[in-house]
Amino acid sequence: MSPDAVAGGGNAAPAVRLTGIAKRFPGVVANSDVDVEIRPGTVHALVGENGAGKSTLMKILYGVQKPDEGTISIAGEEVAFASPADAIARGIGMVFQHFQLADNLSVLENVVLGAERLHGIGARARTEIERISAAYGFALDPDELVETLGVGQRQRVEIVKVLYRGARVIILDEPTAVLVPQEVDALFANLRELKSEGHTLVFISHKLDEVLAIADEITVLRRGTTVATVTPDTVTAHELAELMVGAELPTPSSGESTVTDRTVLEVRGLRVDDAAGRALLDDVDLVIRAGEVLGVAGVEGNGQTELVEAVVGMRSAVAGTIVLAGTDVTRRGTRERRESGVGYIPEDRQRHGLLLDAALWENRILGHQTRPPSVRGLWLDRGGARADTERIVDAYDVRTPGVDTTARALSGGNQQKFLVGREMSGDPVLLVASHPTRGVDVGAQAAIWESIRAARRRGLAVLLVSADLDELIGLSDTIRVVLRGRLAGTFDPRTVTPLELGSAMTGADASEPA
Amino acid sequence: MTTVRRLMVGAAAPALAFVVAAAVTSVVLVAAGDSPADFWRVLLSAPDPRDYVAIANATAVLYLSGLAAAIGFRMNLFNIGVEGQYRVATFAGAVFAGQALLPGALNTAATILVAMAAGAAWAGIAALLRVLRGVSEVISTIMLNAIAVSLVAFLLQKVGRRQGETFRTDTIPESSWVPSFPLVPGESSQVYGLALLAVVAGVGFAVLLNRTRFGFDLRATGHSESAAVASGVNVRRMVVYTLLLSGAVAGLIGMPELFGGSHAYGSTIQTGIGFTGIAVALLGRNHPWGIAVAALIFGYLNQQASPLGVTADISTEIIAVTQGVVVLSVVIAYEVVRRYRVRAEQAEVARQLRRERGAQAVSP
Amino acid sequence: MRHSARLAIGAVAAATLALSGCASGDGGSGGGDEDAAASESICDSADGDGPAIGLAYDVGGVGDQSFNDSAYAGLEKAVEELDATCEEAEAQAGEDDAAREERLRTLIDAGYDTLIGVGYIYSTAAYNVAPDYPEVSFGVIDGFNPTESQEDLPNVANINFAANEASFLVGAAAGLTTETDNVGFIGGTNTPLIQGFEAGYVAGVKEVDPTITVQTQYLAQEDPVKGFENPAGGETAATGMYDNGADVVYHAAGKSGLGLFDAVERAGQGNWAIGVDSDQYLTADKSQKPFILTSALKRIDTGVFEFAESVDSGKQLSGYVTYDLADGGVDYSTSNPKLSQDVIDQLDDYKQQVISGKITVPTEP
Repeated sequence: MSPDAVAGGGNAAPAVRLTGIAKRFPGVVANSDVDVEIRPGTVHALVGENGAGKSTLMKILYGVQKPDEGTISIAGEEVAFASPADAIARGIGMVFQHFQLADNLSVLENVVLGAERLHGIGARARTEIERISAAYGFALDPDELVETLGVGQRQRVEIVKVLYRGARVIILDEPTAVLVPQEVDALFANLRELKSEGHTLVFISHKLDEVLAIADEITVLRRGTTVATVTPDTVTAHELAELMVGAELPTPSSGESTVTDRTVLEVRGLRVDDAAGRALLDDVDLVIRAGEVLGVAGVEGNGQTELVEAVVGMRSAVAGTIVLAGTDVTRRGTRERRESGVGYIPEDRQRHGLLLDAALWENRILGHQTRPPSVRGLWLDRGGARADTERIVDAYDVRTPGVDTTARALSGGNQQKFLVGREMSGDPVLLVASHPTRGVDVGAQAAIWESIRAARRRGLAVLLVSADLDELIGLSDTIRVVLRGRLAGTFDPRTVTPLELGSAMTGADASEPA
Repeated sequence: MTTVRRLMVGAAAPALAFVVAAAVTSVVLVAAGDSPADFWRVLLSAPDPRDYVAIANATAVLYLSGLAAAIGFRMNLFNIGVEGQYRVATFAGAVFAGQALLPGALNTAATILVAMAAGAAWAGIAALLRVLRGVSEVISTIMLNAIAVSLVAFLLQKVGRRQGETFRTDTIPESSWVPSFPLVPGESSQVYGLALLAVVAGVGFAVLLNRTRFGFDLRATGHSESAAVASGVNVRRMVVYTLLLSGAVAGLIGMPELFGGSHAYGSTIQTGIGFTGIAVALLGRNHPWGIAVAALIFGYLNQQASPLGVTADISTEIIAVTQGVVVLSVVIAYEVVRRYRVRAEQAEVARQLRRERGAQAVSP
Repeated sequence: MRHSARLAIGAVAAATLALSGCASGDGGSGGGDEDAAASESICDSADGDGPAIGLAYDVGGVGDQSFNDSAYAGLEKAVEELDATCEEAEAQAGEDDAAREERLRTLIDAGYDTLIGVGYIYSTAAYNVAPDYPEVSFGVIDGFNPTESQEDLPNVANINFAANEASFLVGAAAGLTTETDNVGFIGGTNTPLIQGFEAGYVAGVKEVDPTITVQTQYLAQEDPVKGFENPAGGETAATGMYDNGADVVYHAAGKSGLGLFDAVERAGQGNWAIGVDSDQYLTADKSQKPFILTSALKRIDTGVFEFAESVDSGKQLSGYVTYDLADGGVDYSTSNPKLSQDVIDQLDDYKQQVISGKITVPTEP
C-alpha cells in the first residue's frame, strides 16, 4: 500500500477506483457503466433506491462477485479479486448489514475466528484487540460474550473484525438501518475517528440526512449506473432525492383521463399483521375505478408489499374488507380472486411470477390454471397454451428462440414483458402491478408502460406500486403514499412535485396534499 | 442448449454415477480380497430364462415403490415413509382379502382399493402433521415407518394364524387370485398378473403429471412454492393430496405378490422395498420412464447378484454397496450437471444481452 | 438453490436409510465377514465323494457364535465323516420368498443335491422348489409345512428342536439356584419360536417353586435386527431385571445375549446368566465365564449332520423330525464348575421325568 494512500494527500491515487464496471445476472443487469473514485481518508457515500445496484457493486469490490466488465484499482494498482480473501489481503473490509457473529463466543473469539494466523489466539491477539478498541474509542471487553452485547456494540465488533484483519478501506452496508438515533451518533463518532486515522470509509445508505451528515463525497446510483458524484455542501437532500429517482419529472403522458365511475376494487379498514401480531398494514381504505391507475408511493418496507399481497389473496386480512367488482373476496383464496379477473405482476418476478426451469408455454399456464385457453376442465390444453404463448411473444415483443425455451434463459426485460402479456390475458378487470419495470432495460420499460396505458383505456383498473417516481407520475391517475402501514396522502400526479412526494414518503412536514 | 445436447448432458449424470459405482465396488472387492473379475462376470452374464421372470417381477414392484416416492419428490415432499405405508397397506389388504367378503375378482378389486386407502391413510397422518403442526414429513414418515413395522407385527399375531414358527393372515380364496402369465415360453415360473399394475400406475402418473391441472399445480409447487402460491395454488391442500396419492400408490406395492405369490401376509414378507423405491426414484429422476429404467436396473442387479455367493464366493451383500454408491453418486452427478447447465445458460444470456446491446447501439 | 439443497438433503437421508436398512441387515455378519462363505470355509477344501451339501443361511451367515455357527459345525462334521462336498449361501436382508427360492435353485444348478435351509424362513421356498427337483433332498432347520394341504413331500424334512424342553431344564436350574426367588427371561423377538423358550423356562422355574417370580421381556416384536443383534438392548433389559431383584436371567436372543453377559458381570457375585443354543460358557470372555451358570443346548449341528447322513445312506428323513431331550438333540450344559453336583443331580432327575413323559413341557406361554 502506498504511503500516500494512508496519508490521504491531496494528489494521492484514489484509495479505490472503479471504472466501467458492469455485472449481469440472468435476466437482470445489476450494474453497467459504473465509475466511482474514492479518495483516501474520506467517507464516501453510495446512495440509491433499493435495487439501484449498490449491493452488487459492493459485492464486486469485496470480491464476492466478479464484474463482467470494467476494472478495479486499489491505491492506483489494478487488481482482480477471486474471493473476499483477496480483497481482505488488499486491505478492504466489509461490515455487513446482517452481523456475522457467533453469539455464544466472546468478542475475542469472534474477532480471531478465521484470522488465527495474524496474531495467534492468545495474548498477542488480545493486545491487538485492546489496542484497536482503545485507538478508536470502541470500549469493547474482549472477554464479553457477544450474546450479551447490544446492537451498537455488535456493530463495533464487526468493525474491529475488519480492522484486525488490516483493513484500510471499510465498506459499511446500510450500517444505520439497525441502529437507534443515539447509536447512530456514536457510530458517526467512531467513523470520524477512523477517518482521522487515515482509513477510507464507503458508506452505503438511502437515508439522505445521514449521508449528508457524515459523507465527504456522495455518489448516486440509479438503475444500476452512476449518475452523479457530489459533495454535501453543494447539494440539498431534495436535489439528492431527485438524482436518486430521476431528475426530470415527465408530464403525465397518460393523456385525458379514462377514469369511470364504476368501482372495481374497494378496500375498507384493511389490517394485516405479521406472525407476531404487529400491524404491517392498518386502517387502509382505497377505491380503484375502471380505467383508473392508482399509484402507491412509499419507501420500501412501509407496507406496500403487504398491501399487494393482501389484495391478491396471498396474505389474509386481520380486519377490513376487500370488495372486487361488487363481490366481497376478503375470505377468498388467490385462485378465486384470479379467476374473477385479477392480474398480478409481482415485485419479485423470479420468485413469484415464473417457474424459471419450466418452458415458456408452461409458464403461460401459471396463474391461469383454471382458465382457457391453457386448460379445458381438469385437463391441460397444451396446444392452446402454446398457441397463446406464441401470441404473447408476438404481441409483447418477447425476444425468445421459442415457446419451449425455459423462462430462466430469457433476459429480465423479456421475462417481464412475457409476464405482463400473460397477466393481461383473459381480460382482467384489475391489474395489481408491483414495480413492473424494475430491473428491465429502457426499451422493455416503454413497452410495459404502453401496454398498461392501453389496458387502462379499455377500462382496466390498476393498483400500481413502484419505487420509481417517474413511473408513478407518468402512469397514475391518483397517487397515494404509504407510510408505516397506513395510507398517508393523496396526490394528483399532474401537479405533484417530487419534494412533496418525498416529504410525504418520509413523514416529514409537507404542504397539504393537493 | 439444443435438444440433443440437453439429452446428452442429461444422460451424462447417470452414466457418470454408474462408472463411479463400478469403480467403488471394484475397490471394495479388491480390499476384501475378492475378485472383481468374477464379480463382473457373474453380474454381466446373460440371465437364465427364469431370471427374466424374477427380474420382471422385481422391476414391477420396485417401479411402484419408486413411483410412490417420486410423486412426493415432484412436489419437494420427501415421503420417506413408503416402507411403512406399504406394510400397513399390504397387511390391511391381506386381512380384507382373506375375509372373502366379496366373490372372486370383486374381492381382488376391492382389496386393491382397501390397500390404497390404507396406504393413503398412513401417509395422511404425516400430511396432517405437516399442514396442521408444521412437522417435517421427513421426520414424521421415518417415525411412522417404525410404528408401522411394530404395529403390523403386533396385529399379525392378533388376527393372523400360526403356521410353523410364523404367523400369517388367512389365505385369500383361490377364486380371487390373479393368474400369472408366462414371460419366457416353457418356463415354469411366471410373471405376477398384477405386475401390470405398474404399467397402469406409470401411465396414470405420466398423464396426471403432464396433462392435468392437478399435475401442473404439483409440478409448479415443486419448481417454486412461492410462484405456485402467487398463482393461486393452495399449497397446504396440495401437500395433503400429494402425500395421500403417494401413500395410495405405496399401497399397490404389495399387490402383485399378494395375489400372485404368497396369497397372504406373513412374517416373511419382503421388507425394505419402500426404501429401495426412494433410491429408484432418485436414480430415475422422478420421471415415469426414468423410474422404469431405474427399477429395471435395480431388479437386474438384485437378481444377478443372487448367485454371487455360490458361483463366485463373493458375499451377496456387495450388491448393496453398488446400489448405495449408485444412488449417492447420482445425486452428486445430477447436481454437477445442474450447475453446468446453469452456467451454460448464463453464458448464453450474457451473449444474447451483448447482441441486444449491439443492436440497440446501431438502431437508436 | 434451496430446492436443490433440500433435494440433496432428502436424497442423502433416503440413501442413508436405504443403506442402513441393508447394513443393519448384515450387522450380524459384522464379525463374521472374515470367516464368511468366501475365505476359510471348509467347503473350499472339501472334495470328497459323499453328499453334495448346499447350506443356505439366514441373514448374517456364519459368525454369530450361535445358530448359524452351530449349523456350520454340523457341516464340518459331515465333510469329515461323510466325505461331503459343500457350498454356502447367505440371505439378503428383507428379501422375499422368490429370492430364497432362487438361492435354492442356484445351489441345485451348481450341482448340490442335499440342501439345508438354516432357519424357518426357508420353509416356503423349500416346499415351492422341492416338487420341481424330486432327486434333491431338502432339510429346513426349525422348518414347517406351509402348504394348505399339510401333505408331506418325500424330499423335504422339517428339522425341529424341542427347545422348550432344554429351556425347562435351565429354568429348573434357575429355580434351584435363585436366592431372591426372582429370575428373568429375555427373548429376542416376540414370535412363536422364542415363546417356546419362554414357556419351557417358566415351567421349569415353577416346577421347582411356583412362588418364584419370573420377569419376562422381549427386545422386539418382530424385527430380527432389534431382537437378535442388539447387545445394547439386551444389556439394558438384563440390568433392569437384576435391579428388580432377579439373580438369574436366561436369554433366547442370539447376539443380543452378549449384553446379558456384560450386565451380569457388572451385577457381580451371586448373580447368574444362562446361555442358549450352544454352550456359551465355552465361548464367553474369561471374566464372564464364572457367571454363566449353564446353557440350553439346541444341537443344530446334530440336526444338520444327521440329515446329511440320512441322505448319504439313502434313507432321507422327511416330514417333521423333532430332536428332544430323549435323543440328545436338546440338552443343558454342565461345563461351569460352579454348577453344583447337587443341582446337576436334580436336573438329571427332571430330565428323566421329561423323557419318560411324567412331566409334559408346554410349548406356548
